[in-house]
Amino acid sequence: MEPVIECRHLTHCYGRRKIYEDLSFDVPRGRILGLLGKNGTGKTTTINILSGYLEPRSGECLIFGENIRTLTPQTRRRIALLIEGHVQYQFMTIEQIERFYAAFYPAWNRDAYYGLMEKLQVAPGQRISRMSCGQRSQVALGLILAQNADLLVLDDFSMGLDPGYRRLFVEYLREFAKAEGKTVFLTSHIIQDMERLIDDCIIMDYGRILVQMPVGDLLRTFRRYSFRCPDDARLPSGEGLYHPAVVRGRGELCSFASPEEVRFRLEEAGIPCEGFTAETLNLEDAFIGLTGKY
Amino acid sequence: MWKALLYKEWIKTRWYLLLALLVTLGFAGYALLKLHRAVALMGAGHIWEVMVTRQAVFIDQMQYVPLLAGLALAAVQYLPEMHRKCLKLTLHLPVPALATLGVMLAFGVAVLAVLFGLGIALLAAGARPVLAPELVGNILHAALPWYLAGVAGYLLGAWTILEPTWKRRILCLLMSVLLLRLFFLAPVPRAYGGFLAVLALLSLCAASLSWLSVVRFMAGRQD
Repeated sequence: MEPVIECRHLTHCYGRRKIYEDLSFDVPRGRILGLLGKNGTGKTTTINILSGYLEPRSGECLIFGENIRTLTPQTRRRIALLIEGHVQYQFMTIEQIERFYAAFYPAWNRDAYYGLMEKLQVAPGQRISRMSCGQRSQVALGLILAQNADLLVLDDFSMGLDPGYRRLFVEYLREFAKAEGKTVFLTSHIIQDMERLIDDCIIMDYGRILVQMPVGDLLRTFRRYSFRCPDDARLPSGEGLYHPAVVRGRGELCSFASPEEVRFRLEEAGIPCEGFTAETLNLEDAFIGLTGKY
Repeated sequence: MWKALLYKEWIKTRWYLLLALLVTLGFAGYALLKLHRAVALMGAGHIWEVMVTRQAVFIDQMQYVPLLAGLALAAVQYLPEMHRKCLKLTLHLPVPALATLGVMLAFGVAVLAVLFGLGIALLAAGARPVLAPELVGNILHAALPWYLAGVAGYLLGAWTILEPTWKRRILCLLMSVLLLRLFFLAPVPRAYGGFLAVLALLSLCAASLSWLSVVRFMAGRQD
């Protein structure tokens, strides 16, 4: 499938602190891709590079085949951008901001915006600065959807939203993206939402991408293995075995490898593996299994 | 699209512009009132003589008003853009970034031109009944660098506010103070002569400095 976003060999540092090196990934057309990672792994840095507000030390990003540093206004019109913190012009009212943005986007969907605003219980003339954090987030998301762009880049879209609106937005966004063939690239700290929404995920660790794959494949193939073993046992690690640990006589590790293979490797290392169990995980547990609990 | 950009600037600045209009015209009116009172008390002949021999202009109290009006306009227009980096939203609009900045700056310069034009018109109209045309010209010539300072202050203020790092912002501030000092070297009529045209050109050139700040913002420069 033709990629909408192509990032090649990105390297970025803040001062002497390296965020990542030689990072490459694609986002195919029509897919919803979630970027997951612990705090400080470079999610917002990636979004900032993608939106053209950060120049990477090296590497390049293309969106719709154009370098993001030199995007034409026509291409920028096809990209809806949600900035971290749901930033919007706080000096405008609900009506003013809609009127302002509508002038820039020929495919502007006024009904989508006011449909979401109706749920807010605020007057159209209310200024955004006088709204609660959650209401402001909803205004920002309403504007993103009304823009009817081909690519949506959403940084921490669920921040500040109550559970009901989060669920509503996730369902609305997925239905909208699938029906209209939109491409979505997003980050969120609430991984349960991502599980309902995204097709593919990129899981980042400090300085690198751990996995990029369809969420379905991840949830089907990534397992947590647990077994009884002595507290002083030295579990094998690396080569596809993630975060092995022994807590109160119970060994635990995660892996994409099959139960037979994991069991073989444990036995090879002299671990008895009594009570060996394998379980598939939800996205949040898979994320923790891959990145560790700090 | 251009109308929408102007609409945004108008929403940000409209209440300030009303206040700035009242304050600048208020100061000009106050200066005229003092002039008329002096003429009534001392006689027109004496005031004319003082103006010619001592190069008095009777409007010294409004020397820094246009500068403050320009600086405040820059703050009203550009601080909301830098608040939580809203400028990202503006630069993401499907309009070339340089053109977007150009519209914002042109809006500011245009409203200052109207504001200051009204101030100058009020001064000229108010002074004409009691002063000879040459003396009215003296007052306006003395005031012209101050009004130019207002425009330069606005453009230098925009440059400083749009700069994304504090270190460089302080540098911008220092350079702005030094440049603005040029507009207040001699508060006497016709002191600048031909240099006034250079000052006007310098003021307009200051508009290009804001682009440097925007380029640095787009490159993600931070402290």
